[in-house]
Amino acid sequence: MIQPAMPKSWYAPTKPHKFCPGCGHGIALKALGEAIDELNIQNRTVFGCDIGCSLLAWNFFAVDSTQTHHGRTTPVMVGIKRSRPDLLCVGYMGDGGGYSIGSQHLLNSAIRDEKVTLILINNTNYAMTGGQLAPTTLPGQKTETTPYGRDVTKTGYPTKGPEMLAAITADGAYIARATVAKYRQLRTFMKRALQNQMEGNGFSFLEVLSTCPTNWRTNAAQTWDFLEDQMEAYFPVGELKSPFGKGEK
Amino acid sequence: MVEKPITGSRKAFMTGNEIVTWAALASGADIMFGYPITPQNEVMHYWTRLAPRFGREFLQTEDEISAGFTVCGAVQAGRKAFTATAGPGNVLMQEPFGMAEAMRLPVVAVIQQRGGPSSGTVVYSQQEVTLTAYGGNGEGHRIVYSVATHQEIFDYVIKAFNTAWTYRFPTFVLGDGYQAKMREPLELYDPAERGIQLVPPTPLVGLPGAIGEDREPQHLCNIYSLEEELYDAVLRLEKDYQAMAPLVVEWQEKNCDHAELIVVSHGVVSRAADDAVQALRQEGVRAGFFRPVTLRPFPQQQLREALRRSGAGRLLVAESSQGQLLRLLRQELYGERVPIDALLMPGVGIVDEDIIAKVKSIL
Amino acid sequence: MARIVEAYVGEYASGKSEIAINRALELSGCGQPVTLVDLDTVEPFYTLRPLKAWLEQQGITVVGSGQEESFGLGETGGRIHPAARWALRREGVIILDIGYGVFGARTLNLVEGAQADPDLRVLAVINTARPMTSSVADIVGYVRDLGRVDALVSNSHLGDQTTPEFIIAGHRKVVQAARELGLPVAFLAVEERWREPLEAVDLGGVPVKYIRRYMPAALW
Repeated sequence: MIQPAMPKSWYAPTKPHKFCPGCGHGIALKALGEAIDELNIQNRTVFGCDIGCSLLAWNFFAVDSTQTHHGRTTPVMVGIKRSRPDLLCVGYMGDGGGYSIGSQHLLNSAIRDEKVTLILINNTNYAMTGGQLAPTTLPGQKTETTPYGRDVTKTGYPTKGPEMLAAITADGAYIARATVAKYRQLRTFMKRALQNQMEGNGFSFLEVLSTCPTNWRTNAAQTWDFLEDQMEAYFPVGELKSPFGKGEK
Repeated sequence: MVEKPITGSRKAFMTGNEIVTWAALASGADIMFGYPITPQNEVMHYWTRLAPRFGREFLQTEDEISAGFTVCGAVQAGRKAFTATAGPGNVLMQEPFGMAEAMRLPVVAVIQQRGGPSSGTVVYSQQEVTLTAYGGNGEGHRIVYSVATHQEIFDYVIKAFNTAWTYRFPTFVLGDGYQAKMREPLELYDPAERGIQLVPPTPLVGLPGAIGEDREPQHLCNIYSLEEELYDAVLRLEKDYQAMAPLVVEWQEKNCDHAELIVVSHGVVSRAADDAVQALRQEGVRAGFFRPVTLRPFPQQQLREALRRSGAGRLLVAESSQGQLLRLLRQELYGERVPIDALLMPGVGIVDEDIIAKVKSIL
Repeated sequence: MARIVEAYVGEYASGKSEIAINRALELSGCGQPVTLVDLDTVEPFYTLRPLKAWLEQQGITVVGSGQEESFGLGETGGRIHPAARWALRREGVIILDIGYGVFGARTLNLVEGAQADPDLRVLAVINTARPMTSSVADIVGYVRDLGRVDALVSNSHLGDQTTPEFIIAGHRKVVQAARELGLPVAFLAVEERWREPLEAVDLGGVPVKYIRRYMPAALW
């Protein structure tokens, strides 16, 4: 039987993975896996995953992994990194975990220039719990808790995480936003977000614009349209801060 | 080579919070995570002064949730890590403490109880008994040492690290604002000189060896799909906890022979109770003294035996809360017919005269 | 009589407040007004507050908040009484009780005119039962970090477990440290109960003050 090519750092016994058809997590995790392979860091990476759909990645990789509570992956990764600076700590979370319930951890770990890599999947909703408002839900977007569309006068505007983090981090931080719609760029950013930790330059953060057809109730074409037209219009893709040159737009 | 924090042993005159720091240093604690809250601040003040001298680390986190979770991360990385908190901080830390129960993380936390509910006072109370013993959305699979003297703070912080790393349940040293700030003489010692072997930490992640060749990857998880899976997991926790309980349970019993009434108290109140019972005995009043040192696991067998042996017809609970020890006692003594009286002074100190007067009003 | 202005600094729980109270009481009969100033800022626990009313009955003016003027106790520790800032403008004897903290004697910057006051003496209270000041080398290093110090006060004890041997051994370390620092030892403070055992002991020419312990009654 012919198997699709998998990164070496993926954990084969847990494949096929458990994400929905059309979900962007698999693409983001493939980019992460390929970056781990390319940098040859499988044996010293610790992967931490949050609650929400990111939880489904808890045994995704053939790397030491630990699962935490909603929003708390960042402090667990910080605790490991502070204790074992030789390890490469990768926190993997959703927009709710990073920008809402765990926002104080994200913000303060960035300010303290913690030498961890945080990857945040932005799919504009709380998907695991059935599609509620997330900090990243677009204005007017319907969710189960914004049945008439997100009213920014009542719930504010979507969180622009990388922009915020770029403003508060020290030189040496790596802050970028990628999209699963541009795989080669995504993989490059993923690699830089890891390399930045390896070199000890500073805090590393990558937001990944992703897809959630299940909760968006979109077919394939509509899914890509929402991602490429509406999300990218609100959340510009590119490197906001990078020790590796000027930053790619 | 970094020198030992304490060589041999020596007398010192210190506050409880400082002792926590020295004991943690002597225990080989590698790193502390903390967030300021009264009355535990001097634990951090002295840890941050001393830790660099002995190659230890510190991080002041953004809040107590983070302090608890960074400790969880550090112990997974195989480092002896601890935190200290109180009151509302203890409430916030129940979330990481719950994860530590589920994942068998040897987290050590020192709790210096302050008055509650809410911000309450920063002074003193014994109102964090229920929270520390049974907080979180689990079954209270923790070890809670309730200390009474400065010497005990030193002894039990050292013991807490060993208990945590031996049995891998979160372990607490429960003090209070009085003990945190009071100053008393005690003996500081190098545990090795007392024959205390420090249990070495072992990592859960970042293990040696190439994945796929030398070993499988480690996948740690605290969530289950099916209720049956969780059920099995909790039963395993319970089984391990019950197997451990007789090995860690501690208590103190004094003057219980032929006692008519046994005074039950814990922590700093037990000092007043001890004095009161001795004074009462001198007056010919047949009072006895029982103190659970571990509130979890509770020395219920030992208390039942003390009751039977003494023939005491009454118990008196004295505590600085509105019945948190009393509730534990009722639960642990279920089936005993002995009536329980109570001297309950939430958030207020209890002295020997209070207990003597109460005993006399009963007998 | 010369104006007396003394500031007591030192390690946490070294006995600063106890010495300050005893000194204020000792001087209260000298014919000049005596003012005791509470400058304990880092989470004070044993403070002058509970003793304020009693001290004032003894004729001492206490600059600092009493219990009823404080709020939240320990968590308002960072507050100093506004009058403390102007304490050096007062008539008579002034005793400043400086709390512990990483800033040491620099807490005196909070008091107007402290730098220029010709009569101010900064005294570092040393108890060798405190682990940070338990050896001669520790004391020397510690005092050098404090900032300005004019003399040491020898105050080694173990509370209820004090012995004359402990006092004497501690005192000798303080004397040795003072020599290395080029500072005098202003006095040795011991509880009244040790008067007899210490009478025949060579204390290196340091005067002895017999004190009473008031602070155990001063929780919060």
